[in-house]
Amino acid sequence: MKVDAVKTLYEIKKKLHDSGDLKSRTVQFFGTQITLCYIAPITDNELLNNTLIYPLINFSDEIKDEDVVKVLMDKVLANQEVTAFSDLKSAVDKMLAGNTLILADKAEQILGCDMEKITVRAVSEPPTSVVIKGPREGFTESLKFNLALIRKRVKSDDFVVKMLELGEKTKTQIAVVYYDSIADKTVVKKILKRLNSIKIDGVVDSHYLVSYLERNKHSLFKQVGDTEKPDILVAKMLEGRVGILVDGSPIALTLPFILLEDLQNSDDYYTHPIRVTFVRALRLIGVILAVLLPGVYIALELYHYKILPTEFLITIMNSTQGIPFSPFIEILFIILLFEILYEANIRMPQYFGMAMSIVGALILGETAVSAGLVSPPAVMIVALSGITFYIIPGQASQFSILRLLGVIIGASLGLFGILLFCVFILSYLSNFDSYKSAYLAPTAPYIEEDQKDSYMRKTIDEMKRRPKSIANNKRNTVRRGSYED
Amino acid sequence: MKINYRQLSIITFMSFIALKFLALPSLLYIESKNMSMFVSLILMIIDGLYAFVILDLMKKSGEKNIYEFMKNCLGTVATKIVLILLIIKYALVAGNISKGLEFFVVENLYTEFDWFVFVLPLMILVGFMVYKGIRNIARVSEMVCWAIVIGLIYIALKALSGMDILSYLPFLKDGFKPLVDSAWIHLSWFGSATFMFMLFGFVDFREEKKSKMIKYIIFAILIVELLYFVFYGLFEVTSPTHNYCISDISQFSSTYSAIDELSWLVVSMWIVAQAVQLALYSYCLAQAIKFLFDIKNNTLPIIIVVLYIFAWSFIGENTVRMERIFFTPFASIVTFVAQYILPILLEIVYAIKNKKKRAKDRIERVKDEREKNRDKKEINVNI
Repeated sequence: MKVDAVKTLYEIKKKLHDSGDLKSRTVQFFGTQITLCYIAPITDNELLNNTLIYPLINFSDEIKDEDVVKVLMDKVLANQEVTAFSDLKSAVDKMLAGNTLILADKAEQILGCDMEKITVRAVSEPPTSVVIKGPREGFTESLKFNLALIRKRVKSDDFVVKMLELGEKTKTQIAVVYYDSIADKTVVKKILKRLNSIKIDGVVDSHYLVSYLERNKHSLFKQVGDTEKPDILVAKMLEGRVGILVDGSPIALTLPFILLEDLQNSDDYYTHPIRVTFVRALRLIGVILAVLLPGVYIALELYHYKILPTEFLITIMNSTQGIPFSPFIEILFIILLFEILYEANIRMPQYFGMAMSIVGALILGETAVSAGLVSPPAVMIVALSGITFYIIPGQASQFSILRLLGVIIGASLGLFGILLFCVFILSYLSNFDSYKSAYLAPTAPYIEEDQKDSYMRKTIDEMKRRPKSIANNKRNTVRRGSYED
Repeated sequence: MKINYRQLSIITFMSFIALKFLALPSLLYIESKNMSMFVSLILMIIDGLYAFVILDLMKKSGEKNIYEFMKNCLGTVATKIVLILLIIKYALVAGNISKGLEFFVVENLYTEFDWFVFVLPLMILVGFMVYKGIRNIARVSEMVCWAIVIGLIYIALKALSGMDILSYLPFLKDGFKPLVDSAWIHLSWFGSATFMFMLFGFVDFREEKKSKMIKYIIFAILIVELLYFVFYGLFEVTSPTHNYCISDISQFSSTYSAIDELSWLVVSMWIVAQAVQLALYSYCLAQAIKFLFDIKNNTLPIIIVVLYIFAWSFIGENTVRMERIFFTPFASIVTFVAQYILPILLEIVYAIKNKKKRAKDRIERVKDEREKNRDKKEINVNI
């Protein structure tokens, strides 16, 4: 193609529907008209001035009958990434991603210089994974910056970044990251295949990809891991997982995912193992309490009250006397109230938060009890269950649904129903294998080697092999050898 | 969808303890009195030994399922007859568990409740687990196994102080005959390794450790014997009146109002174990039906099995009726043949067939070599 600066600029403007943020600047370069065109909000002005406009205007070397494009590329442009385009479409696509196009009259190609302005919010500690010890850096919304945060921790030629572009309208950059010698090749292939097959108009956040990557799309349970912290992502990659980062999202997805992951916390690896084992046991108890406590309470109150110790039974009977609702309605009412308060609280401006807590927890709860609408044990049971949810924040939304089911089953079938419900959940999750990893591993199937970092944790130097629970390269399982004192 | 050797060991462990803690101890006492625990000890040891015979056959079968393996050994007609026998055995066990669960739940956990309300969720659970296959049952067993073991040991140790060891004296007062009689009458409660037949071709032997299986079986025997020891020591001559061994030991029963806060948790875990065992034997039953009628899909056998469990809700309204069904000589004969005759028969037939095959192979090899030699000679003559 032969470039006509004026005509091509007109075509670009037409293509972008005369978009207001499309800017251009024309300069004369040894008798050739050169038009620079760019999208102003995503272009780094300083970079544009220093590496493009200034060198063009101040170029003083003599040029003979050389090709303008060649001269520009070899002698003028001080930019590190310059691309030559033979068609207008790909040039415009690049311009929309932050390139400045150089339209030189009579040139054979259009040149594009990367001038992308990286707007990044300051690195902060992610609110979903606050730690007492350990790194506090969290991902931001910029893919380039997030990759830099990972690269800072990974200085290995084994680390691979595969770039993809998804979304017909958003052209979102996706990075698939993994260790070539650690990740399972078939898992990587499967993930890339699934991502490449996605047909979607836009990818606004990494969670848009989740349903495409899940094996059981309609399941309540989480099947794709996520993290907002680069140290966690790197640790997961070292175990053989694959990370997926999306431009515009501070959350990285990780695959394969097993249930145990949510029981672990990055803090665990920076704290004494005995403390960690204790905390993990607490988390497990927390999960059981969160899901089953209200259901069991209703079952005991409705069907098996004779099981309760006499003193305890008398206390409950005294507290529930005069309550106009059945235990089921009572618990359901408090759970719904709790869920509404929770939803309101997280979406409310921060300065309302404290007031909301006071109104919700103290005034509403206290008044409901004093008015005799609900009993104190019921409030206590739901509050305890509600608090324990957030021991494992990653699964809180799933568990709240399970709790509701537990309440319904406890009210209709009693303890026997709850037991069957538990077996059903275990049985259901036992089949949740995805990306060559069993969802309930290393418990079912039991993997002895992986018990070093499951419900209990041994010291880092004792974990000599990569977990077998995660699909990884079976030929590269040794993490660390023995050390000498 | 194979299970590993450890999972097989755990399922075997669960199967060995599955039927032992409800009515069996009190029933054994009727004939063998204070020596009842020896009846179960002997029968469980025999079951354990047979488990290894079946395991050996399983290994020999390689990737073949039980139907293909038996067809090779016994022929189609005999295989179908054996399958009918196994179906009866599995159906009896599944029915026994289902009925035991019904009596236990309705009488111990609920004072006024209709079993038909419970049987529906139980059917859904069993149907789901059977549909998902043996790996699913194995994994669930793996998860609940240790909670059940801890619970059982807790119950036994807690009750130890209340028992009277002197009740075991005099030792073998009536000789061995009552023990033999009792063993034969209650044989259908044993034969705990028969489920293994339906696992042919579904076990991965790559990480086989026989010691693991031995440990699990010994552990199962010890737990059963510990609880029996406590049960007979606690209740002595009144043992036959205690239909629910596990709940009566722990003094857990809403009707007694003698409450222990932790025991009901333990008993709850026992219900979980029973549900998983029901799924295991339902799976075996579904597989056997599938092989017998050459059904290609899994859905129809599962529906049959689930409906069969449901049907049990209509019969055997009381314990006496249930005993009549289970303790007929017919049930004992079925168990005897399925568990004790069939594995030996298969071993013998397999050995004979294999011998013949090896002899045939050797003859053919010799023939081939002779032909080759003859060809060589002919070539030399021509040259």
